[in-house]
Amino acid sequence: MGLDTPVFQVYRGTEPPRFASQAELECAKVLDYYGVPWLYEPTTFVLEEDGDGRVAEAFSPDFYLPDQDLYVEITVMKQSLVTRKNRKLRKLRERYPEVKIKLFYKRDLERLAQHFHLDLAS
Amino acid sequence: MRELGAEIARDYAGREPILVGSLKASFVFLADLSRAMPIPHALDFVELAGYGSAQMGGHEQIRVLKDLDADILDRDVLVVEDVIDTGLTLNYLVRTFELRRPRSIAAVTLLDRPYRRLVDDLPVRYVGFVVPDELFVGYGFDLDERWRQLPDLRLLRLDARAD
Repeated sequence: MGLDTPVFQVYRGTEPPRFASQAELECAKVLDYYGVPWLYEPTTFVLEEDGDGRVAEAFSPDFYLPDQDLYVEITVMKQSLVTRKNRKLRKLRERYPEVKIKLFYKRDLERLAQHFHLDLAS
Repeated sequence: MRELGAEIARDYAGREPILVGSLKASFVFLADLSRAMPIPHALDFVELAGYGSAQMGGHEQIRVLKDLDADILDRDVLVVEDVIDTGLTLNYLVRTFELRRPRSIAAVTLLDRPYRRLVDDLPVRYVGFVVPDELFVGYGFDLDERWRQLPDLRLLRLDARAD
């Protein structure tokens, strides 16, 4: 996907981020706007292995805020449809209790966008 | 309001703090809080720029449209917020003010949503109410610059107008 990305000021990754959605790009803009250092999908967490020890399920949260030691996952699906994503978060928290992660729903992003006059793709 | 004002007055007795309101939503709360604080204190305001329209290839960063008039060196600063949500705004204000070497920085907020924080370790010392994740208007809160003038806080349902 060819999302036009601005020049980020507090992005801490080594490679330019390649966002999978407009919502992720807008969230990155908000974090950058506030000068909150961030990385995009820096970590993949194994959630489940099969009988042979191969990875059966994994999860890469969208953002990591190093100053907060916090992962943030964005979802623009309706809250009622995020069951699968919530299940992944639950598995992550069970397997990695030391990892801090928050889920940002569509409404949260819209609220931030409204506050800062962002134009979100519908 | 009386309780908040009395508590702050006890904690800051003899220190003449400076209350800093973040324009615009906190102006009503700040006015009422100030009048409920029976100790000498100063008032000041900051205003932060909205996101605006970022140019492709360029960048937009938060900036201060209206800075403090007062020098806060060695002053006790109390940031007055309407609501603390992700904590991003307060984090920026605290980091900015810390560079000016105040004696102390703390925050008071009318409404708080601590469960939505993206930034922890903020000096939120006084909280009016912890509220659910709903939209409020009135008492200085707005939706697209409307409804600030309502005398009290109201829950906004987006499928109906708050008349």
